This record gives sequence, structure tokens and C-alpha cells, in this order.
Amino acid sequence: MDLGRGEPLVHVQDFQMSFGSTKVIENLSFDVQQGETFGFLGSNGSGKTTTIRSLLGIYQATSGTLHIGGAPFAPDRNISLGYLPEERGLYKKEATLDVMVYFGRLKGLSKVNAVNWSMNFLERVGVASRAKVRLDKLSSGEQQKVQLGITIMNDPLLLILDEPTKGFDPVNRRLLMEIIEEQRTAGTTVLMVTHQMEEVERLCDRVLLLKNGVARAYGTVSQVQDEFGSTSIDIALSGEIPTSDSYRVLRSNPDDARIMANVGNSPESILKELVQRGVQVKSFMEKKTSLDEIFIQIYGDESIREAG
Amino acid sequence: MVSFEVSRTLKKKKFWLGTLTVPFAIALILGLSVISNTTTANKVDTQKNAKFSFTYVDASGLINSAIASALGGSEITNSSLGVATVKSAKIAAFFNYPKNPATETVGVFGIDKGIFDNGKYAAVATQLLQLSVINKVGNKEIATLIAGKVRINSTSFLKGKESGSIGDVIPPMFFLLIFYLVLLLLGNQMLTSTQEEKENRVTEIILTTLNPNTLILGKIVSLFVIGVVQITVFASPVILGYTFFRKDLRLPNIDLSSLNFHAAPMIIGFLLLVGGFTLFTGTLVAVGAIMPTAKEASNVFGVVMALLFAPFWVISLVASDPSSLIVQIFTYFPYSATVTAMMRNGLGSLGTGRASIVIAELFIFGFLVLKLAMRLFRYGSIEYSKRVSPFQIFRR
Repeated sequence: MDLGRGEPLVHVQDFQMSFGSTKVIENLSFDVQQGETFGFLGSNGSGKTTTIRSLLGIYQATSGTLHIGGAPFAPDRNISLGYLPEERGLYKKEATLDVMVYFGRLKGLSKVNAVNWSMNFLERVGVASRAKVRLDKLSSGEQQKVQLGITIMNDPLLLILDEPTKGFDPVNRRLLMEIIEEQRTAGTTVLMVTHQMEEVERLCDRVLLLKNGVARAYGTVSQVQDEFGSTSIDIALSGEIPTSDSYRVLRSNPDDARIMANVGNSPESILKELVQRGVQVKSFMEKKTSLDEIFIQIYGDESIREAG
Repeated sequence: MVSFEVSRTLKKKKFWLGTLTVPFAIALILGLSVISNTTTANKVDTQKNAKFSFTYVDASGLINSAIASALGGSEITNSSLGVATVKSAKIAAFFNYPKNPATETVGVFGIDKGIFDNGKYAAVATQLLQLSVINKVGNKEIATLIAGKVRINSTSFLKGKESGSIGDVIPPMFFLLIFYLVLLLLGNQMLTSTQEEKENRVTEIILTTLNPNTLILGKIVSLFVIGVVQITVFASPVILGYTFFRKDLRLPNIDLSSLNFHAAPMIIGFLLLVGGFTLFTGTLVAVGAIMPTAKEASNVFGVVMALLFAPFWVISLVASDPSSLIVQIFTYFPYSATVTAMMRNGLGSLGTGRASIVIAELFIFGFLVLKLAMRLFRYGSIEYSKRVSPFQIFRR
């Protein structure tokens, strides 16, 4: 793989996908830079998994460009990839270690390295004593850990995680986040499809929100928050908050209030105004709309229709 | 990939249970057969020499009274009386030799001793007549010739060389035997070879780790290796039975030195085997790739087996009139070509020209079907629990 400096590791341009007469993805374009963590968000059926599968060559795109490392992905290209699909499973009737070593060998590790790596990983996640046990005898949480191990075992250059925390309990979720953090620190590029907004806010450098096959938002978390959300301000003060044309009062209590800046007014100018009007401001904290709230805002009507 | 597939199959208890059941059953049957045949042979021998008192009427004049007396018989003149004495159990048996035993039936009447033991009466009646006739001829060798016990050694020539014997037919037919064995043993496994990836939801990881063509080819190779193991396990009791118990099993003595391994039919047979194996394997894998479950995939297996055995419906035509239209159709229709061509190759009616056409056809079709199977696996196996239409796949 020969990528120039600054060239994205993942490049999607004008991607369209139709299954028969049904258009699933429409003119989707995005890039994932080397070393960044990219969040790929969307409601169920918005086309996220279709995009990932098309990127990996599992589906053939109707049109458009989908490149990993400067060219369409193929397993026999020399790209170290870790993929955790949404529909996941393993050879359940085989022993845990045997399956891990098999996939390690397929990914290019020698038998010795595959065994050593697998045992070290199983030790770390507390499943080492079950190395010789059939996978279907492990709990679902243990199986997920094994699956995760297989995903990262070849020190991937690119990690694609489709709903990685699906079915994970809080303990395993934390473990997964730790591992993703480690991979990021090591320079791995991460493309993560998820619904867990707090994880996106914590981990992702940039995000793309997909709705009905069309990108609705694309950029850093801050940019998306700025585009779709608004900034509220939590103020601790003495007395009541006065009214003003500069802001809208969302909540008012004797010693604290929450306000939202009106268009054209910055938090700084509002603070200046309050001080000038003699309000004793004890603390002044900006708070952007969370991605969770933005997600609900964008997809909320779909969810209500689905629930209905 | 091959070593993983082979080792995980060989490690399964179910595999060995299934594999060893067959030779165990064969060994059991052989053992019972040995005991049964040995006991029967002994009893048959005993029957010929059974001693019991009987009377006989001899209208032919062939029966030697001294021999009859030695066997326990005495001559009477009234056949009705003879039957009556047997009916009233005064005597064990009565034989009624007609004027011309060569064209008329010899009547044998005896006290019922059970279906097997009743056979002794006919055995003694026959024995008496044979010994009497031999005695009349006076020359044992002439008597043997008259009995038709003649050994013949037949030799035919083609282009100055010996040919056309059973020794020429058998070696190429080994490939037909191997073909059937492999498909019968492994056919269902080929059909379900990609089911495991589908049922275990491993497909997406596999498709992003391994070229699907490599996966399919790896599975076919590993199936072939497993087939060799199975055939070895099956063949062992047969070989042991032939080597040590041939006489007891009354198996024919096959003189292996009489088998003729001619290069052309052997090469043709081998190529037909490989081509046919490729075609059927590709077909089974393709079907398995679009079926959602192993059970549904297995339903198709019966259809494939029917195609496999179809040429045997016309085997007599293949032997007697290979140029007939039906045989020609079976020779060139891809799914019956392998078996028909192998039979004709063994029987010597295929020829190099026709063989070349059939072999080329098998390899071309086999290659195309394998490519189809790889595509169907690639795009069909992630449909998981849905049956996939091949048209859907081609639209992707």
C-alpha cells in the first residue's frame, strides 16, 4: 500500500447502491484520514452496514468509488484489516484457541505467534482457562471477547467495527473501549458504526450521520454540534436571571439558570451583558447540544414511526 | 485452510462414527457370511452323502443297482406304491426315474425334514443318477466332458495385440468406482461445505480475510483428502477379507496379473474422473451456497444422485449399441457424460476423439460451474437465513 502523506486511508466518492429498484445509498462521499477515529452513525436501515460491506467488497457498488489504501479492497492485498461485523459468529463447534489460531494463520501470523498472541489475549480478558473448550460452551460475553481478539490480532492498520458494543454488558463494553483506545494510541485508523453517542463523543475525531442513504451531517463532533445543535449556558448567580433579547431562558431558579443564546449572540457577549446589568455571576458554563440529542432531532420521527 | 478443514473434520466423533460404521458393518456382514457359507457348504456336502433308505423306479434302465444299494436304495416296480410308502412314513424317500431323464423330470418324494434338509433327497437322487451314468460310460474323463465341465481360455486380437478381455475392462473401470465412492461419501459434505460459514455467521470475516476462491478450492481439496481417508478405512476390511478369507467367502480368485493397464484408457479414465469430479463438486457447492440451511441443501442431493446413476438405466445399450442416439445423448450431456464415458472407455467403445471432446466439455463446464459457485458463495452466503435466487446474485 502506497499512500501519500495526507491521503485518506478510506476514500468514498459518489457511492450509490441499489438492490434491484430500491435505492439504498445515494451519492455518499466521505474520507477517513490515517490515524483518526471516525464515527459512522445512523438509524436502523439507513445504509451503514451496506456502506461498510460495499467498502469491503462484500457487496458490489452500483456506482462510485470505494477505496481502502488507494484502491478497492481485496483480501489478497497487503492491507492489515480488522473487521468486526454486525452479524457476527465463529466456528462454534471448535475449540476457542483453535479458532483464534486459525484466523491468526489466515491473517498471516505464524503458528507460534498466533498461539502466543491468542493465549496472551485470552489471559487479558480472563478466558485463558477456556482455551481448549468449544466456543459454544462459552457464555455469549466470552464469545464476544474471543471475537474481539480475532478482530485485532494482526495489529490492523484499519479497524472497522460495526456496532461493536451490540450485546455487550457494561463490563465488556468498557473492555472494548479500552482496546479501541489502545488501538488509537498505536496509530490504528478506526471506522466505527455505532448508536452509542457517548462513545462517539469520547472517541471519534469526525463523524458522519446517515439518513435514508444520504449523509445528513459530516465533520468533527464540534462542527456537527454547531450545525445541528445549539449552545446552552448554565449560570450560577445570585438572584434571578433578567430577561433579554440576547438569549432565551430555558430554566430559572433562585441561584442558577440555563439560557440559550439567540442567533447572532455569542456566550461572551451575553456574559458581558449580564455583568454590565449588575448580575452577580458565580459560574458561567457553555454546554453544546449532545450528539444524542442531535441524533434524536434528526431521526426522532423515524423512531416514533418504527415504535408506532 | 486445508489443514484446518481436514483436522477439524477428522477430530469430530460423528465423522469417525459414520466412517467406521460402514467397515464395521461390512466386517460384521463378512463374518456372518463366512460362518453362514462355511456351515452351508458343510451341510451341502453332507447332504450329497446323506444315508437314508429309499425306493426307486427306474424306467430309463440307467440306474446301477449296486450303487443304489450302497446308497441305501432298493428297486420297486410300482411308482404309486413308492409314493404311498413315503406318505405313510414307512420309508424316507422314493425316486421315480423316467424313461428319458435328460428330457423328462425325475420325481423325488420324501418325508418333510424342513426346507433345507429336504434338499438331501434331490441331492442323493442326482448323485445316484450321475454315478450310474459315469459307471455306464466307463471313462471318467469322457463323463466329465459330457457333464460340460470344460475349462476355456479365450484370447482376442486387435491390431496384432491381445485385447478385449475382462482384464482390459477392469482397470479403467476403477476410475468409475472411485468416482462413485467419492461422490457418495462426500457429496453431502460438498453440498453443505459452505453451510457452516453461513450458519455460524462467519461469512463476513472470512470474505474479508480470505479470497472466496481460495476458500472454495481449499474446501474441495480438504474434502478430497477426507475422502481418501474414508476410502482407506472402508477398503481395509474388504482387502483383509479377500486376502485371508477368500475361500470361506467363496470369492472368485482374481488373478491380478491378468489385468491389463493400457496407457490410453487409463489416462482417459483419470481425466474423466478429474473433470467429472470438478463438475459435480462445483454444482454441489453452488447449490449449497444459495440454500439457507443444510437440511434444504440436502433435499437437492437426491436429484444430483439420480443424475449420477442415470447412465446405469441404459447400461445394456452402452454395452451392446454404443452408437445409439440415447447413448450419444448420455455421452455428451454434461451431468451424465462422466459415468457414460467411463463405462464406454472401459468397454472400449469411446475412442480418443470422443474422449477428448467429453473431457474438454467436463473441464469447461466444471470450471464455469466452479466460478458460479464462488460467486454464489461470495454474494449469497451473507443472506444467512434466506434462500438466494441466482438472478439476484447476478444483478449485484
